[in-house]
Amino acid sequence: MRARTRREFGRLTGAMALAALGPRLAAGEAKARVVVVGGGIGGATAAKYLAASARTIEVTLVEPKPNYTTCFFSNLYLAGLCSFESLTHGYKTLAQRYGINVIHDSVAAVDPVAKTVWLKSGPKLPYDRVVVAPGIAFNYDALAGYDEAATQVIPHAWNAGPQTQLLRRQLESMDDGGVFVLVAPPNPFRCPPAPYERASLIAYYFKQHKPGSRILILDAKDNFNSQDLFLDAWERHYRGMIEWLPAQFTGGIKAIDVKERSVRTAGETFKAAIANVIPPQQAGQFAQQIGLVDQSGWCPVDPITFESKLQPGIHVVGDAASAGDMPKSAFVANSQAKACAFAIVEALAASERAPPHLFNTCYTFLSPDDAVSNAVSFKPVAGTIKIIDNFVSQVQESAETRHRAAREAQSWYAAFTHDTFG
Amino acid sequence: MRKIIAASITAGSFITFTDPSLAADRDRGARLAAMCASCHRLDGGDGGIPTILGMSPEMLTRTMLAYRSRERPSHIMRAIALSLSDEEIATVARYLAALDKQVRP
Repeated sequence: MRARTRREFGRLTGAMALAALGPRLAAGEAKARVVVVGGGIGGATAAKYLAASARTIEVTLVEPKPNYTTCFFSNLYLAGLCSFESLTHGYKTLAQRYGINVIHDSVAAVDPVAKTVWLKSGPKLPYDRVVVAPGIAFNYDALAGYDEAATQVIPHAWNAGPQTQLLRRQLESMDDGGVFVLVAPPNPFRCPPAPYERASLIAYYFKQHKPGSRILILDAKDNFNSQDLFLDAWERHYRGMIEWLPAQFTGGIKAIDVKERSVRTAGETFKAAIANVIPPQQAGQFAQQIGLVDQSGWCPVDPITFESKLQPGIHVVGDAASAGDMPKSAFVANSQAKACAFAIVEALAASERAPPHLFNTCYTFLSPDDAVSNAVSFKPVAGTIKIIDNFVSQVQESAETRHRAAREAQSWYAAFTHDTFG
Repeated sequence: MRKIIAASITAGSFITFTDPSLAADRDRGARLAAMCASCHRLDGGDGGIPTILGMSPEMLTRTMLAYRSRERPSHIMRAIALSLSDEEIATVARYLAALDKQVRP
């Protein structure tokens, strides 16, 4: 083990800020190799914290897309309140500042016996550990009449990108007086308050630009996240504009008719000017392909290390993971990714193991100046992850409190995306 | 007082970090600080959420305890302050004070 020079230390902390004095290499010792598959919030955070925590680890990040567009805050874009570019983040800093080997390619297969990741374009990457962050896939089989091709007419816009832009174009070209039908998915799904935030912000857009238009939410559920806060806000900001129909009222969503742009429920068919179908969800396809998924459709993981319970040596973080009480959110992905990165550093160095602190924070916009927040702490308990504390905004809060939360949310976005990509 | 404490920690992290107990304390601090970085920039940049660099360890500890007791309101900070033990708060406060010296000398 050699001591670092003062200059070297300064360079490291200056560049990485969070660089821990993790394990160092003895001369001639080979670096451990970690391959991170998927460059969303979970994958990018894991790659960054692995690289920043231990210089004894060589980190490769495999992601097909050149940029990542955040799903969180994309409802603001739909309402015309921010640009698409402001939601888009590249991987340059991760490569240049943290020395992460960023490869824009897809993974064809993982061989857990030979400990090798095979890239689609041919190369093989040997690994000591793999972190997989594949996000979500849509379970089209669970919704008659809706499939991949249908998304070009009726977008889900639940992976941010071209789908989000398509839905925005439809909103812009819609005639005033139309009905926007939003089909909300069954649990569990990515970002529980987001379908209802979307309804709120699109109502805001309609109020400004197409005041005769309405929103109809056809829900696969009988209740939803922060329901009291949303119902209160809809009454205050958008009276008569948003109607929510639970499954027990409609008898459930039966089929989507793409040609007619309509949604058939057990009792009635609803025709839309714009339909936005958020389908039932499961772990990203890659997770299914390499055997990380159980019958729930998600990836069971160890609550401390996020190592797959089905495939040793492969860790799963983010939306694809089935992690007890933790919801599927960007904040959770970031929190899990750090816990996972530190667990891998500890495992590779056989060093002290500290139990992780896990959190979720959600900011939800009810209007551009009226936001609510939710903060939850979690702990690994008896093989799963349990909620410890849960603090949430209340109906009847002052306008100033809500306005402050809206401003704080914008600041949070900047800091959070910096923590992940910067 | 603040200056002396921070200076000794900084000196410690430069020179005697081969001391395993100091290095371990710093590692623990870095891991706890990673949690702060989800909302607070730790590179001296201004993200809009109030910075937590530049506070003395005593000040940071007092602030965390005020969030824990609800004397200061914040859902997020309350959840975090309740989740951390007193020892963990002291560890992350020491780490952040030392980090401040590195990124904003």
